Amino acid sequence: MATLSLQHIDKIYDNKVQAVFDFNLDVKDGELIVLVGPSGCGKSTTLRMIAGLEDISAGKLFLDGKDITQTPAKDRDMAMVFQNYALYGHMTIYENMAFSLTLRKENPNVIHKKVLAAAEILGLTEQLNKKPGQLSGGQRQRVAMGRSIVRNPKVFLFDEPLSNLDAKLRGATRREILLLHKRLNATMLYVTHDQTEALTLADRIVCMSMGYVQQVGTPLELYDTPANLFVASFIGLPPMNFFKVHVQGNELVGTNLNVPITPEEQAILSDYSGKEIVLGVRPEDIVEGGTIPVKVFSNENLGMNTLVHGHLGNSKEVEAKITCKFRGWSDYKPGDFVNVSFVKKHFFDPETTNAIRGEK
Amino acid sequence: MSMNEDQVIRRDRMRFTKNTLSSSLALLAIIADVFYFVSIYKSDVGSYYYNIIIGASILYNLLFMLVAFLSSEGVKGYKIGYAYALLVIGALQIVRIFILPLSAHTATVTINQQETIVMQTPQFIRVVIYLCISAACCITAGIVGIIKSRALSAHIASMGTTKAA
Repeated sequence: MATLSLQHIDKIYDNKVQAVFDFNLDVKDGELIVLVGPSGCGKSTTLRMIAGLEDISAGKLFLDGKDITQTPAKDRDMAMVFQNYALYGHMTIYENMAFSLTLRKENPNVIHKKVLAAAEILGLTEQLNKKPGQLSGGQRQRVAMGRSIVRNPKVFLFDEPLSNLDAKLRGATRREILLLHKRLNATMLYVTHDQTEALTLADRIVCMSMGYVQQVGTPLELYDTPANLFVASFIGLPPMNFFKVHVQGNELVGTNLNVPITPEEQAILSDYSGKEIVLGVRPEDIVEGGTIPVKVFSNENLGMNTLVHGHLGNSKEVEAKITCKFRGWSDYKPGDFVNVSFVKKHFFDPETTNAIRGEK
Repeated sequence: MSMNEDQVIRRDRMRFTKNTLSSSLALLAIIADVFYFVSIYKSDVGSYYYNIIIGASILYNLLFMLVAFLSSEGVKGYKIGYAYALLVIGALQIVRIFILPLSAHTATVTINQQETIVMQTPQFIRVVIYLCISAACCITAGIVGIIKSRALSAHIASMGTTKAA
């Protein structure tokens, strides 16, 4: 397995459009890194540059300390799994998995052993004589993974491999990828726009937007201490609530909103006294009971939780909208008032959009 | 990898790979047969060929190509019955040498009051070679098919025994 280092990577296309800006990342041996972000944020482009399918416009790429920036894709010893599987329909599963090794003129007996071992890992042993058309989407994606495994590459690259699968199959295949990573202890880079995949799979997440890396950290770090408004809004489902408030002494004051703050929070916001900030509160950090009135306009029971959508007080302003995730079953009717309090708060600078952490 | 292990893996590979050797040989036999009948039909001396023999020959060629093609697909999947079929049609290709080519080679017709051999020696040798190639391909494909099919059956049986044990 391998370490990977991306240093100041840029991608500028021939039409001068820049897709990736100054991408820096050190991937440790056996680490599973997930690149997450909305469509067009440059995550797939970054992965393709790592694979060698796109030229790197500027910067350096190192694999195990060796500069591979200019190395052709075939010599990089990386395997890529695509969203659309890219299997050969006229070949059996066995032949599909053996294909890359056959091209390299490996000993057929060695190929056979590797294919059987990979099929065993992926639970495909019974399917080896079938054609891809006879398999389900999840099984086909496993074949695509198997084709990568037999090569025993230094780095596995996954480009939205679960996007073609239905929700149930996606969950199952996601768990299989996680087990596979644990079993192979391989260095993996995984691209997705699905934050659930990112949070459940990653050792570390790289959150991207508009070609820039917004934050790199563990799933918990991104969830608990988002670096800026983008990360805070992108990670978490339902997304975080944001309110424009002013810092006034020991409370935050906004539209129909008076939120008391602790001495610790006052210390964090000491530089913003009297100024406007953005208050972020996750729906699951809002609990029933407190001093903040919410007028309910819809109630969604999810079994274990209830999503309550409403406005702060009687306000109809868009920025006063709030989503609360209460534990258990609630039966609020539109027009009902519920008093809530905020268990955990996040603060953001409205100009820079960066999180306010009170660090000097 | 020891010799024994090597052999076991080679046999095990047959569970997932096709018998392309036998299959290709059977197709080659068809091609050789095509060369044979084209060589025969393109030449006519007098009206020697306009009789029941040539009709039967055409029908048999069609039948041969059909059986050889089906057998080619069959042996690809290690079906032993098709391997035996290849042996039979291979043997029949040899028998054919002594029917149409030989009879044409020994027969004469009178053209312009001159006795002429229907099939001259060079053409006779050529068509005999085509039939021999066709027969050899069929027989080899059949033998290889039988050997491989038996080996695979034995291997699968031994796997079943091992699993049961």
